[in-house]
Amino acid sequence: MGSTGEMIDLESDEEIPFSSSAATNKVAAFEMNHLPPRSVMPNAWIARHIVIRAVRSIYIVLLKAKINILLPFGPLAILLHYVTGKHGWVFFFSLLGIIPLAERLGYATEQLAFYTGPTVGGLLNATFGNATEMIISIYALKNGMIRVVQQSLLGSILSNMLLVLGCAFFTGGIIHYEKVQEFNKSAAVVNSGLLLMAVMGILFPAVLHFTHTEVHFGKSELALSRFSSCIMLVAYASYLFFQLRSHRSLYNPIDEEGGNGVDSDEEEIPEITHWEAIGWLFVLTVWVSVLSGYLVDAIQGASDSFNMPVAFISVILLPIVGNAAEHASAIMFAMKDKLDITLGVAIGSSTQISMFVIPFCVVVGWIMGVKMDLNFQLFETATLFITVLVVAFMLQEGTANYFKGLMLILCYLIVAASFFVHVDRSNGNTLLPDT
Amino acid sequence: MESIDNGSILSPETEAQKSQSIQAPGEGSFSGGLQASGDKMWRNVVYRSIRTVVFSNKLNMLMPFGPLAIFVHIFTGHNGWVFFLTLLGITPLAERLGYATEQLAFYTGPTVGGLLNATFGNATELIISIYALKHGMLRVVQQSLLGSILSNMLLVLGCAFFSGGLVFQEKEQVFNKATAVVNSGLLLMAVMGLLFPAVLHYTHTEVHFGKSELALSRFSSCIMLLAYATYLFFQLKSQKNLYVPLNEEGSQNEENSDVDDDESPEISKWESIVWLSIMTAWISFLSEYLVNAIEGASKTWKIPISFISVILLPIVGNAAEHASAIMFAMKDKLDISLGVAIGSSTQISMFGIPFCVVIGWIMGRPMDLNFQLFETATLFITVLVVAFLLQDGTSNYFKGLMLILCYLIVAASFFVHVDPSSADEGELKT
Repeated sequence: MGSTGEMIDLESDEEIPFSSSAATNKVAAFEMNHLPPRSVMPNAWIARHIVIRAVRSIYIVLLKAKINILLPFGPLAILLHYVTGKHGWVFFFSLLGIIPLAERLGYATEQLAFYTGPTVGGLLNATFGNATEMIISIYALKNGMIRVVQQSLLGSILSNMLLVLGCAFFTGGIIHYEKVQEFNKSAAVVNSGLLLMAVMGILFPAVLHFTHTEVHFGKSELALSRFSSCIMLVAYASYLFFQLRSHRSLYNPIDEEGGNGVDSDEEEIPEITHWEAIGWLFVLTVWVSVLSGYLVDAIQGASDSFNMPVAFISVILLPIVGNAAEHASAIMFAMKDKLDITLGVAIGSSTQISMFVIPFCVVVGWIMGVKMDLNFQLFETATLFITVLVVAFMLQEGTANYFKGLMLILCYLIVAASFFVHVDRSNGNTLLPDT
Repeated sequence: MESIDNGSILSPETEAQKSQSIQAPGEGSFSGGLQASGDKMWRNVVYRSIRTVVFSNKLNMLMPFGPLAIFVHIFTGHNGWVFFLTLLGITPLAERLGYATEQLAFYTGPTVGGLLNATFGNATELIISIYALKHGMLRVVQQSLLGSILSNMLLVLGCAFFSGGLVFQEKEQVFNKATAVVNSGLLLMAVMGLLFPAVLHYTHTEVHFGKSELALSRFSSCIMLLAYATYLFFQLKSQKNLYVPLNEEGSQNEENSDVDDDESPEISKWESIVWLSIMTAWISFLSEYLVNAIEGASKTWKIPISFISVILLPIVGNAAEHASAIMFAMKDKLDISLGVAIGSSTQISMFGIPFCVVIGWIMGRPMDLNFQLFETATLFITVLVVAFLLQDGTSNYFKGLMLILCYLIVAASFFVHVDPSSADEGELKT
């Protein structure tokens, strides 16, 4: 059905560096040339047109990226769930299956950002940037697995700051061996200051609980957590407003940052149209939600069969999945000596989780009637605070080398090892008072 | 005749001369009317003084609340209202005390002026604390001083950054990074000095339980007072240009064309001293009622005492600094705002708190540096975060907003915070 013709169309579309609107027009114009005049267009033509577009879209989105090899693991996981019910394997396969979906979700968001301009694009990135973690967390909340939510979000912050940043610095440092890589010190300092303040906002309910000084034991820190979460959401809204409005140069979605460079091999034009991007966003979100359902259900069973603490699974394994895409892109940008973008990805994602996703989960829990609060247990809270302090301090001089990266990775290994031997004393399920 | 002098800002000598010269013709012959003119001169001086000090500032509308509070205390004994009204009554007095100190600083020169500012800058908090110590309310003292530090660093600084950032939206305000860093370093060291008795107590590793940390606290306080004296010496002697009292900063910058800053003193030297003592006496008087009413107010309004001590009391003591910091930020003089906020915090942590420990020692009260765990952790986290934020030397409205929001979260934590050592434990210990 003219599939070869479609292939040729695709190749020529990509190599022409047009602006977004021009590309869209060209695509549309190209398509229109193959169609008879409107007055005689029967339904068959329209249907064929849509199918052609759909196939092309599927090709671009699903088949081109190499990471999509992992895609079949998703349906395989569901199959396993119904056929064998072996939680360990279901968990492992859904993990593998979500990774490419998360990456494609990020891709669709970036594509959509081309059409909506920098402001809404920034907002989109800010909201959907951690969509995978949010979806997994909401499922876990629905199942009442509050500790899993807290730990996976915490682990996401830790993994962004230690693992992602460490790998980026390390690979960048090895490739650019002769010189010391630099990044924009002031932006990094401002961002780490924000992260520090956000973490401070999260800390107080935990500190209150652990000094056993609340007025109504068990109820006070919940009320305090909900109040703090609302305040942090207000802070996040003003953060977005501030970035997108006053300091637009500081905040650029990652793709557009790439568009500012002279590298012509980077994607300067969107590859799919506006509506396709929205459509894919929707489809991928639904698909991620479905898989997350199976993932969350399998956590407890996987912990039992693999003999790993649930804490380790939540803090270390789950975030690796959610962050895989950011991980890859951060490393890639570091290797291209664009450390500012890497830092934006890593620190920006951490800030987003601590200022938006965590309070958002508390509020969603509030709506659902689930007692999610900001009282991460003492060990997790101390780990978070120490890590943020150390990383904020380290970013101050504005340089990076492979040794710093290696140190960050090793710190992450130590943290991971601590969680491997960490028993969560509060029960993973709801409503039981913790010590 | 007093109306002629109304609103004029003259130097003291000419003021006295002018009043004399105006009086004399109206009195007829000089020798015969000397006695009467002398009296009239004093009266005019007093009237003018009162007008300048008491009536010129809008904040002084709150002054009648002071006597009203005493009235309510004697007649109804309703502690909640007494507390509230005394709070309102002390606020203008604290501001006027600061004003009198600045005026006196004109006459004494920068050195002694700096010393004056350093000592009297937080006089209100010190007076309230000494009264609370006398009543044995040790936790109130600790918490109100802690709350003063927190409010200076989060609320005052946040409001200053926020309002300054809103007024100067297109550019980022900058301040002198070096001074801010030095001050934050000092603050951090002071907090470290405060931390050790608390850490010692909470790891349950002291030699004599209950007595060791008191001895350690008293020793640390003496050392911190020594450190503070050295800090003053260092600032006033070696870096005379870095540290200038607020008013003189305005008068010494010749390139400033703002003549609306107070460049010349408004009242004479002796008037300043007199007003200083009057304000101090009046504040002491009201503080007595305030401290007495704290517990009653806490029960009436169902607020924990820690919330009253940490959040409400410092707002009163800091109201004047708060207003001036915001004002200077809006005039793009962020260095002064920072000096006010961080300087006040440093002063309380390195001088106010150890001073109270020593006074407690003299009075025989077991006041120590062991702020409870929650307060200590809060202080440590806050100082760390603020010190980090001040490092890059810029400010914008978002940073200010974040600081204010953090203060709201801290205030909310104290609202649901029950003090583990009960509030009247101090009274039992006497």
